[in-house]
Amino acid sequence: MASNMKAVKLRIRSVQSTMQITKAMELVASSKLRRARDRAITCRPYFEELHQTLVDIADGNTDFTSPYVRTGNNDKICYVVIGGDRGLAGGYNSNLFKHFEAESKGKDKIVFPVGKKVVEYVQRRGYECMSDQFGHIASVSVSDCFSIANLLCREFNAGRFGHVALFYTKFVSMMSQTVGSFPVLPLGDLTDHDENLEERKKIRNLILYEPSAEEVFNAIVPEYLAGLIYGAVCESTASELAARRTAMDAATKNAGEMIDQLNLYYNRARQAAITQEITEIVAGSDGV
Amino acid sequence: MNTFPLKIGTPDGMLFDGEAERIVVRSIGGDLAVLAGHTNFCTALGMGEAHLVDAEGKTRRAACIGGLISVMNGVCRVLATTWEWQENIDMERAAQAKARAEKLIAEGDLSDRDYMIVRARLNRALVRLSVGK
Repeated sequence: MASNMKAVKLRIRSVQSTMQITKAMELVASSKLRRARDRAITCRPYFEELHQTLVDIADGNTDFTSPYVRTGNNDKICYVVIGGDRGLAGGYNSNLFKHFEAESKGKDKIVFPVGKKVVEYVQRRGYECMSDQFGHIASVSVSDCFSIANLLCREFNAGRFGHVALFYTKFVSMMSQTVGSFPVLPLGDLTDHDENLEERKKIRNLILYEPSAEEVFNAIVPEYLAGLIYGAVCESTASELAARRTAMDAATKNAGEMIDQLNLYYNRARQAAITQEITEIVAGSDGV
Repeated sequence: MNTFPLKIGTPDGMLFDGEAERIVVRSIGGDLAVLAGHTNFCTALGMGEAHLVDAEGKTRRAACIGGLISVMNGVCRVLATTWEWQENIDMERAAQAKARAEKLIAEGDLSDRDYMIVRARLNRALVRLSVGK
């Protein structure tokens, strides 16, 4: 009995130290989350307007001189997948990968990972990886987004792939984050997903480009890509921290429950040991 | 005068969302103004001074660097990489950036890529200084 009590005591101590860690992680995540959420929220209108503008342009566009607009015969898709650097964030990374898996199955693809977990995932799966120099999402800045965009544009123009799509995690609220994905390039892809496309086609207005469509697209597409990637990075970072906070909160609660139960068990074992001792003493004195 | 809905956004948030009478920006092809009733239009922004006249007729100046301007079905959107209202420009920082960039260029010894970066920095500083005055 005594050895059992010792084992339970040790177990309680180990759960307690785990609880301390999860508690600390939760606190760190929630303090970082506040900043990340503010960043995601300030960036969101820009992100949405930018996307909307390009959808409108793609909708009304009748000029196909720029390679960014044409849907070519290159079916290879470049997926920009934005995930986390670290685990222990609940289902944050695995959800992203699950969606990605479902969407990209059977397609000719190349992946542009952002975030350490994504880089590891791509290597494990043996997917073609474009560049792993943006392995740390925590350090990705606006200028990094511009370098990513320029790199993508260069490779796109070189014909290495014919489509670009973006995978990230949308920050809906503190409690809920969903995986978002949409096609980014060529602009022709943007309209394919519109439900009331037929209706909108009827009121297609011509768009004036100055000085020329090609020059305008060459100038705005890298900007547009960079803006979208930056927005997606902001959203993903906030989502990761929110997911981690929720996961760690749950873990702390579970640890608390476990400690309660173990304490109960420990007390019971202690009580049993005492009772046994008394019985032994009584039995002994009876014998005298 | 007629007004039109205008949205100005940067990655640091929406800076203007409302009715405006006129907006003047520097595009890659030179300065241009957008008034109400403009046709659908799209171009990329260069670096330079921008100003807008809001619904009350008040003029606000700003430094605008990079991005795009589009007019779609009457709604004008300016999505800039940097858009700083005149009153928010940090003149001291811009002056320092200018001095630093000028020094680097004067020293020479820069790779092509570095030269482009320094050059862009200098241009940004010059735009800020000219608008901030």
